[in-house]
Amino acid sequence: MKMKDLKFWFKDFWNEYKKVKFGIVGFAFLIIFLLLMIFEPYIVPFSQASSRWRDITYWDDNPSGAPPVWTNWFSSKKSPESEKITKYQSEVIEGDLKFINSTFEYDYKYDKAPLDIIFHGKGTGNMTMIVKMERPDGETFDLVQMPIQTDGGNDIRITLDKDSGAAAFDFAQKFENEENLQHVDKTSVKPLDIYFAQAKSDMLNKIEPLKGIYKFTVTAILLDQESSYEDPFMVVSGRVSGILGTDNSKRDIWSGVVAGVKWALLIGLLTAVIAVGIGVVYGVISAFYGGFVDSIMQRIFELFASTPLLPVLIVMSAVFKPSIWTMILMMCAFFWTGPVKTVRSMALQIKEETYIEASKAVGASNARLIFKHMVPILVPYSFASMALYVPSAIVYEATISLIGLGDATIVTWGQILHDALKGGAVLTGLWWWVVPPGIMIALMGMTFAFIGFAMDKILQPKLRTR
Amino acid sequence: MNENNEKILQVNNLKVYYYTSKGTVKAVDDISFFLRKGETLGLVGESGCGKTTTGVALLKMPTPPGKIAGGEIIIDGQNIVELSEKEVRKNVRWEKIAMVFQGAMNCLTPVYTIGKQMMETLTEHKQMNKEDAMKLIVKYLNLVGLPEHIVNRYPHELSGGMKQRVVIAMALFLEPKVIVCDEPTTALDVIVQAQIINLLKDLKQKLNLSFIFITHDLATEAEVSDRILVMYAGKVAEIGTNQQIYGKQGPMHPYTQKLLKATPRIHEKVDELSFIPGTPPDLLDPPKGCRFHLRCSEAMDICREKEPQLIEVEKDHCVACWRCTKNV
Repeated sequence: MKMKDLKFWFKDFWNEYKKVKFGIVGFAFLIIFLLLMIFEPYIVPFSQASSRWRDITYWDDNPSGAPPVWTNWFSSKKSPESEKITKYQSEVIEGDLKFINSTFEYDYKYDKAPLDIIFHGKGTGNMTMIVKMERPDGETFDLVQMPIQTDGGNDIRITLDKDSGAAAFDFAQKFENEENLQHVDKTSVKPLDIYFAQAKSDMLNKIEPLKGIYKFTVTAILLDQESSYEDPFMVVSGRVSGILGTDNSKRDIWSGVVAGVKWALLIGLLTAVIAVGIGVVYGVISAFYGGFVDSIMQRIFELFASTPLLPVLIVMSAVFKPSIWTMILMMCAFFWTGPVKTVRSMALQIKEETYIEASKAVGASNARLIFKHMVPILVPYSFASMALYVPSAIVYEATISLIGLGDATIVTWGQILHDALKGGAVLTGLWWWVVPPGIMIALMGMTFAFIGFAMDKILQPKLRTR
Repeated sequence: MNENNEKILQVNNLKVYYYTSKGTVKAVDDISFFLRKGETLGLVGESGCGKTTTGVALLKMPTPPGKIAGGEIIIDGQNIVELSEKEVRKNVRWEKIAMVFQGAMNCLTPVYTIGKQMMETLTEHKQMNKEDAMKLIVKYLNLVGLPEHIVNRYPHELSGGMKQRVVIAMALFLEPKVIVCDEPTTALDVIVQAQIINLLKDLKQKLNLSFIFITHDLATEAEVSDRILVMYAGKVAEIGTNQQIYGKQGPMHPYTQKLLKATPRIHEKVDELSFIPGTPPDLLDPPKGCRFHLRCSEAMDICREKEPQLIEVEKDHCVACWRCTKNV
């Protein structure tokens, strides 16, 4: 019976809701946000973004401050994308020493060289790592040769940018003319530029890309029987990266923004619902009882309303470890004052309405009068103000993050913005770092504003269309 | 009216005072009356004479800052003034005494449908399940001449007359002993007024209800009431049967006489309606003696000095006036 009622009510509600156009827009956005939240692990390339946002090693393979991939569409010179290549051909040569060859193919079809190429693998024991490269023009040469000693299953990471500096110059020497070789400083040569350039005279000065399939062979020479090398993969650190680029700490913005959805929803909704809920009930009770009770309740309200939240939060975070939950708690503890005065004045009017008197005559208790006859009339107002508290809670969280009191274990849009501000994103032209979290905050606010207004229209029976 | 009919409601020395910052307003000051079963008692008087205050006090819910300062309200053998608020709420209000409020069309909470509001009363007071409650709701809606489908309507979707009927239907639900109607027809046009009055008369006969009918419209009162109680400045001026007040002999209290003269008539041409100069006295500081003496054209010396007592001049007819007292 109860379920049926609920179902009927919901159907009725939905029929009304459908008629409000911007309500539908808001609802669509809310659905999008919810979908982003639910499918977060499947749509972000870095699934641990949420928990390891501040772990530098997690982001190490990414380019720093790279624009989004789709900026390639608008530029004539195509930049290589960041990608991870896990497909390889394996070859094991047993003997006194064990050779494990892993060959990766990279299809290079861009106009600029990637920033870096990184090889990973799990290694144990003593070994020597050799990286060889075979270019589309048939040139083959050794890039890296380094001894490795590691204990149980550590990640072996070889980057061409850092570990192969000498090889690049040696390679260039074979083709470059004398004059250029004398002018160019050996240390200033960017190895990756050379590897992907056409081999010819003047290649140090004027880099022309050589497109085609590049083969990289990683050879692990195991020096004893206990040693092993497995699970190799290759990462191309391109000049453009991901859907929304990376920040200057190499973090993937898209992963961060999507991971921020759930926190924004949590902070916004929880704070708004709790704060407005408390505020409305508080205001109605204050107005309903009036007199002495009203005076006491209003003084308590003034105490909270006149206390600035920021200093309180600073003290709070000095005493407790800054966490999202204490922050929500504190915001609730101070945000509830918002609707109190308005609600109280509205309730003072409602209190005098005949239907309240009539309900009392029917035998309604005070609790019933407050919760069933007065509060429901304020529901439209509550929803409208709730809608306004959602973005303000999100922005407040961002503000707190900005002064460095945010929860360091999670990633929120505010924190991304804070990092962008600190990293001078606007000055250095990293717009993809600032715009997406900003737009997300605005969209979230808009979503709830639309839903709020739609609710206002529906739940106010007098505005109903029937 | 059968003398043996039990007195369903007995009010003894009821005092309702408003405690304002300026002082105590004695809105209802020491009034006594009774109501027999199946009878309609009309309460008339000018605005501000304490009619509504009396009506609301009968449910033991005077509007703040008002308080019942003394007296007894005995409904069905039980003095409700002594009962705790909780007991009154659960067992007296609406179960024993119901009220149709002034401007009854505003008596419906705008956020609920008619059906839901009516249902609430039944499920909470009678612990009925929803199907039974719905049957009863439909029965009573039919009784007051409303179609069944309005249970799904919101109050603002109904006309004033319909809302009035809904409120009356709600008052009848729990079959209370007494129904207080506080100006149930004032805001309605004459046609609807007539319908409502006929409805009330009809229901009274069908269900043997007892009404207290508060109005300042003497014509309406003449139509519905068995006995009339005239109030002036928080006091009872005159109580009498319909015959005694509206009949040939006419009322005995000068106030009632003047009130009747001020009533518009349809079949009689009156050049100018007479009215009573002045306004009811300030109840913060009521005048000494008879409270009407300032406006009374027949005031005597004693009227200014001593307050007249309510004296039974004939059977069922009591008057508080020195003139009548002297005659007796």
